[in-house]
Amino acid sequence: MISEAFIPAVASLGSVALTLGLIIFYVSKKFHVEEDPMVTILNDTLPGVNCGACGYPSCGQFAEVLVETKDSSMTCPVGGTDLAEKLGDTLGITMAEPKPITAVVLCQGDNDTARETAEYLGIQDCWAATQTYVGPKQCRYSCVGLGSCIAFCDFGAMRLENGLIIIDKDRCTGCEACIPACPTGVIVMQEKKAERYVIACNSHDKGAATKKACDAGCIACQKCVKVCDDDAIVIENFLAKIIQEKCTSCGKCIEVCPTKVNCILLEEDLKEAKQKKAS
Amino acid sequence: MKTFKTGGIHPPESKFTENTPVELMPVPKELAISLNQHLGKPAKPVVKAGSEVKKGELIGEADGFISANVHASTSGKVKSVKPHPHPGGHYAMTVFITPDGQDEWAEGLNTDPVDWHGFSKEDIIGKIKNAGIVGMGGAGFPTNVKLAPPPDKKIDTIILNGAECEPFLTADHRLMLESPEEIVEGLNIITSLFGGEARAYIGIESNKKDAIETLTSHASSKGIEVVSLKTKYPQGAEKQLINAITGRTIEPGELPFDKGCLVQNIATAVAVYEAVCKNKPLVDRVVTVSGLEIGKPKNIRALVGTSFRDISLFCGNLKESTNQIISGGPMMGKAVYTLDVPIIKTTSGMLFINNVGIEKARERTCIRCGKCVDVCPQGLAPWLLANVAQLREFDEIQLLGLANCTECGSCTYVCPSKRELVHWIKYAKALVNNRQKRKSA
Amino acid sequence: MESVNLKVSNAPFVRSKDSIESVMYNVALALAPATVMSVYLFGMRALVLTVVCILSCIAFEWLMDKARNKPNSCLDGSALVTGLLLALNVPANLPLWMVVTGSFIAIVATKHVFGGLGYNVFNPALVARVFLLISFPAAMTSWPMPAPFSFDMMVDMETGASPLGILKTDGVQAALASLSLMDGFYGTMTGSLGETSALALLAGAVWLWYKKYITMYIPLTIMGSVFLFTGLFHLIDPGTYASPAFHMVTGGLILGAFFMATDMVTSPLSIRGQLLFGLGCGLLTAVIRLWGGYPEGISFAILIMNSFVPLIDRWDLNDRKAENKKKPEKP
Repeated sequence: MISEAFIPAVASLGSVALTLGLIIFYVSKKFHVEEDPMVTILNDTLPGVNCGACGYPSCGQFAEVLVETKDSSMTCPVGGTDLAEKLGDTLGITMAEPKPITAVVLCQGDNDTARETAEYLGIQDCWAATQTYVGPKQCRYSCVGLGSCIAFCDFGAMRLENGLIIIDKDRCTGCEACIPACPTGVIVMQEKKAERYVIACNSHDKGAATKKACDAGCIACQKCVKVCDDDAIVIENFLAKIIQEKCTSCGKCIEVCPTKVNCILLEEDLKEAKQKKAS
Repeated sequence: MKTFKTGGIHPPESKFTENTPVELMPVPKELAISLNQHLGKPAKPVVKAGSEVKKGELIGEADGFISANVHASTSGKVKSVKPHPHPGGHYAMTVFITPDGQDEWAEGLNTDPVDWHGFSKEDIIGKIKNAGIVGMGGAGFPTNVKLAPPPDKKIDTIILNGAECEPFLTADHRLMLESPEEIVEGLNIITSLFGGEARAYIGIESNKKDAIETLTSHASSKGIEVVSLKTKYPQGAEKQLINAITGRTIEPGELPFDKGCLVQNIATAVAVYEAVCKNKPLVDRVVTVSGLEIGKPKNIRALVGTSFRDISLFCGNLKESTNQIISGGPMMGKAVYTLDVPIIKTTSGMLFINNVGIEKARERTCIRCGKCVDVCPQGLAPWLLANVAQLREFDEIQLLGLANCTECGSCTYVCPSKRELVHWIKYAKALVNNRQKRKSA
Repeated sequence: MESVNLKVSNAPFVRSKDSIESVMYNVALALAPATVMSVYLFGMRALVLTVVCILSCIAFEWLMDKARNKPNSCLDGSALVTGLLLALNVPANLPLWMVVTGSFIAIVATKHVFGGLGYNVFNPALVARVFLLISFPAAMTSWPMPAPFSFDMMVDMETGASPLGILKTDGVQAALASLSLMDGFYGTMTGSLGETSALALLAGAVWLWYKKYITMYIPLTIMGSVFLFTGLFHLIDPGTYASPAFHMVTGGLILGAFFMATDMVTSPLSIRGQLLFGLGCGLLTAVIRLWGGYPEGISFAILIMNSFVPLIDRWDLNDRKAENKKKPEKP
């Protein structure tokens, strides 16, 4: 009696399952795409974050193009030297070593040094704030300090500390995703090197105006230009700039800088640099 | 009673200064005349620190096609030319003038009125351009450009905007009561530029009965029709006003002249009259100073460049409980962050308020009540635009009609969840612009 | 003067007085006549049940806010409205533990699992009602007889089938005999707490409509489509199908159409979407009532149509997009 009830149910459901299975089988055969196994191997080797730093929209496309062209100058900044070696071994060519780059925030106007305007109560986003008024800080070139860029970083390399974005240089891969996220354009890319100096200020205001808005701004006093033996510092539009090709990382400019926080060592943490200068 | 078709709200009118006659504000100790008082490129400064200027003398020259001249508002000495906070929220090049107290006009300016009927069309537009007249309702589009539309566009309707739909503001209202002859003459000058067949209207909201009466008595003999409009925000927005008076709809992507219309503000008409007949450049304007936190709410005639600080002192000082100062009206104005900002040609009001709701009114989730869709005068779905903006889907948001939003703020006004709808839309606009700039760069 | 502490925010600087609270408390106020009527009809037991239902909903809301680390929303009125609606949707003699189970389903499983107020796909009170109906069919379909002004706790009250139940089991003659239409309109018939009195419900609905918290597109299309559909079959065969007027006043149709289907979160935004939604609800209700396994169909109908709301809204959205694609770019 039980079997009488079961047989039609099992038979009907079973036949449905069989039919569907056959359809799936047919479709997968019919629409099968031939793929180079090498692409799959390379794709598995790549970091898989699809950050776009290589210039291709995804890691998969990077792998495809690499297999097709075997272009040894293609680099993945995220993977670094290790990955370049691995890719080279897989393909049997010598890959170019990527130059490690990192994002740098050209601003040191945190809540202690930068003067505030009025309290901002709109949407907590840098773009929304700068579009309402100059922003929570008086300096219109500064890091707005609401952290819109953090969401764009795939690697968790950015954090907001005391109203200023701090970049973790160990985590930053230089994918440039944060650059379009910043309304004031205060983030730039720099080559990663053991010792590297940049002027961490973005203000093109005249010295007096900069000084009024922020304690840590470049006031274009020319002192660093005069002290530099290698002519590596120029002042453009009221802002000092270090020409990286000429800079020998002697550190003299830091000693003379009147605002004391003007130049930072790239490879050291900001706070360490501050302590060093203070001592 | 006429009104526009889609949407609209009716916020409390709060027109405290309706019956306060315009008071002339004395020349302050310092003037900060911004060189960016209009849409388009800022004017080029033509004076340096130390130059002596007379009232009405050119200090900033129009730079490019869409730009406007800027004149000294009083006689005195130029102290400096430097970036200074602007009521729009950002910095702008500003000419600081220390007045000499004479308030002396430059040669040939502010003469006795002459008859304009003999002037040619080019003369009139040239005079308007020289006087640096811009749309005084808020947008600040250079008037000489607006009055010279492409030759293939035929203008048959000229509308003077006396709606003044923003709460608190009464500057245009007072102007309509106190200088109706100038308004009518100004409108006649504008109409004369478009030949005989153009019809002229003055649209006034029905909460200004006295203004409707005054203007009707002055205008009806001159072939101008005064239209009484239902009190509804945003009646004074260009597209809505055209729809209310003519029934024509400005489609997205179109400009008013595509539908044969031209809209000018009441204050602009007076400025046009003064520029053409009296050769007077635009150096002062009527400003409503209002809000619950100012000692004596007033309508004042102040020189362009007078700082908010001087005006607040003139109007009985602000109370300590003030937490927001707004340049413009409460629906579309901007909160300023310092009292140093000066008034510019487009500042129609100045509000001192204690916005208590602002602390606790944090955004909450959308409950899909659909009120924003009901009130949107442009027929958009603001909640959707805001949601998509939050997700940063900028291709999608353009398809939803982002560019058609006039940022009137009706949606944010009605939202029970207190969402910053219009701010999200402005945010999306800023990011879409930025992306296009990056693409083209 | 320099001591003023300025704050910058965005326009508009004036806001309407409407808030989530005002919306929710007005809905609750609109349900007040029906609640009072239910206490009048079913006595103290109805009052106790309503209070338990509301309090348990608010408690679950509070717990979920804590658990999800969200700002406290238990007093924003939405839990109150859900609790009140759920109470009005169950029979007066339902055991209290079942009521609390219903509140759990409404607040936790229907609302907060989807993300809280504004994100739920289905109307919480309705899901809870349907859950209870399927899980405890006996308790949910033994309706107490109304006994006006009896203020005992009605522990062993007299029960009977609802008019729609009689219609389903005993046919149209018995159903019509059990009830006069005026009884149905005033509410002296068997049924859940709030669905019996059409008069009290309509009074509340008119208040909501007058205050512009609901529009009449959805309720009127539901009522109209049920009326026409059942009327059509009544005309064909009056012996099998009850008259449309009978369908109007019995069951939860009015409660559902005016208070549940119009829930802002779970109904479409555009007018044509609302009309389609109402039409779907009405037809499904009529179909379930006439031929379905359950005597009452409005809850199922609304829930089924709730699931179509994203689709209906997408229709509107796609049209907006298509319209903007056609138009030329702004110069």
